[in-house]
Formats: sequence, structure tokens, C-alpha cells
Amino acid sequence: MWPRLINAALGIWLMAAPAVLDYGVPAANNDRIMGPLIATFAVIAIWETTRELRRVNAFWGAWLIIAPLLLGYEGAAVINSIAVGVVVIGVSMIRGKVEGHFGGGWTALWRPEHAERAND
Amino acid sequence: MPIIILALIGFFIAAYMALFQFNLIDSVWEPFFGDGTRRVLTSGISEAFPIPDAALGALGYILDVVTGAIGGRDRWRTMPWIVIIFGLAVGPLGAVSIGLVMMQPVVVGAWCTLCLTTAAISVLMIGPAMDEMLASLQYLRRVHDTDDRSVWRAFWGMDTAPVSASVQPEVTPDVA
Repeated sequence: MWPRLINAALGIWLMAAPAVLDYGVPAANNDRIMGPLIATFAVIAIWETTRELRRVNAFWGAWLIIAPLLLGYEGAAVINSIAVGVVVIGVSMIRGKVEGHFGGGWTALWRPEHAERAND
Repeated sequence: MPIIILALIGFFIAAYMALFQFNLIDSVWEPFFGDGTRRVLTSGISEAFPIPDAALGALGYILDVVTGAIGGRDRWRTMPWIVIIFGLAVGPLGAVSIGLVMMQPVVVGAWCTLCLTTAAISVLMIGPAMDEMLASLQYLRRVHDTDDRSVWRAFWGMDTAPVSASVQPEVTPDVA
């Protein structure tokens, strides 16, 4: 649970950061787009059946790390973007507790042998 | 059941904002962002559809409430069609909400507290709706693989065979 809550909080922080740290475009626009995305995938991944969606946030985190270079950030926005990106990637790696087998999960839909293995 | 309550709350908030967009009420509640809600709800994006976007949202939440409430706990196999409509309704509604949240500051240049609230509600509904969706899809896959039964008929719940314990999914739906 807590890894998902951390990334959700970081997503919400990105939405507020342009106002709090007082920086403008292009960093502000990018952060205001990435923030809702990261928070959304983090929240959906709270539930065990959709836990693997946590991995999507690693891509957004990687983008946050390279965005300052590609989009030409200045000042506090550079540090903020890279720092948040690093933490988001790290936290998205944590699988957490998954107790259910869910009949082999989503992969069982296109690879039925997974369903049989899960029932052994 | 918690999903249905969330959807009902979402419906009431969206309906309230739609009343403002239809000019049936003069002002709209906004505790944090000044005239942010007014600016968002009267923006070009909000009026890009034939009817105001909050009214579309309200319709979406009603669809969630109805398709979330129909049927019993075993509806993942007795009526897969309603489970899949429910899952498809919850997913895109969340996606649209998040898209609008991105556009508020980037395109309109303002935040809207109630819009953020409904977006959060939409996102919270996705995860718990997906376990039931998965159970239905796995059930249809098994009908497809192991039986001479018709997936089409199973989808509409027309011949719901009892599922033996050994293949019953461990997914237990939260809703209904």
C-alpha cells in the first residue's frame, strides 16, 4: 500500500510544484501533465488485481529525469523533476504484498496454461 | 458496494456542476482557487461537446451506478455482459477525468476543486472494478477453451453452467 501512496503523493506534488516552487513553462506544463498520470497509475495499482500497473510509473519517472535536458528547464524545476523521477522509479519497483492468485491473473486470458498452473 | 457509493457521489457533484453550465444556478462553489471553477466550467473545452462536459460526466456516473448495482455476487458468470459494460464504463470515465485534470492548468490556466474531486473518485473506482472484470473474462476464456458451449451465450448469461470448485477463480468481486 505505502509504495502506491508515496507515488500518488508525488504525482499530486508535481501538480502543485509549479505554484509552490514558482517556475513556469515548459517545466510547469510537463509537471502538470505527468503529475495526474503518475498519481492515477499509483492509485489503480493499490488493488492486487491491477498491481502490475505500478510498472508504468517507471516510464513516467524516466521521462521526468530526461525532460529537464530535452525541454530546457531552469532553476528549481531541474532538481525537482530529476529527484521526483528517481524516487518514482524506485518506488514503482516495489511489488508489495500480493496474496491472491486470481486464477492466473490477466496473463491467463491469452495464455490459459497459466490458469492451470495457478490452480495446482 | 463502495464503488456504487463513490459513483453516486460523483454523480451528484457532476450534476451540480452541470446545473451551473446549463445556467440554472448563478454561481458555483469553489473554496481554494478563486474563480477557477467558473473559468474551467465556462472554458472552450467544457463546451466542446454538444452538451456540457459535467452533464456527460453525470451520465457516465449514472451508467456506473446502474451497471454496478445490477445482479448478485456471482454475476461475473451469470451475467458477464453487465460486468464488462461496467468495467468499460469505469475505465474511460477515469481516463477522460484525468485528461480534463491535465487541461485545467495547461490549457485553461485554472484549477477547479470539484472537478479534481470527481477525477479522484473516477480513479478510485477503477482498481476495485477490475477484479470482477478479470473473473468474467477468465470465465469466458474457459468456456471458449474447455467446453463446447457458446461464448456468445455465456456472455449474455443464457446458459450459465455451474462452475466446479477446482476452476473457480479466486477473484471475489467487491461490488454488488
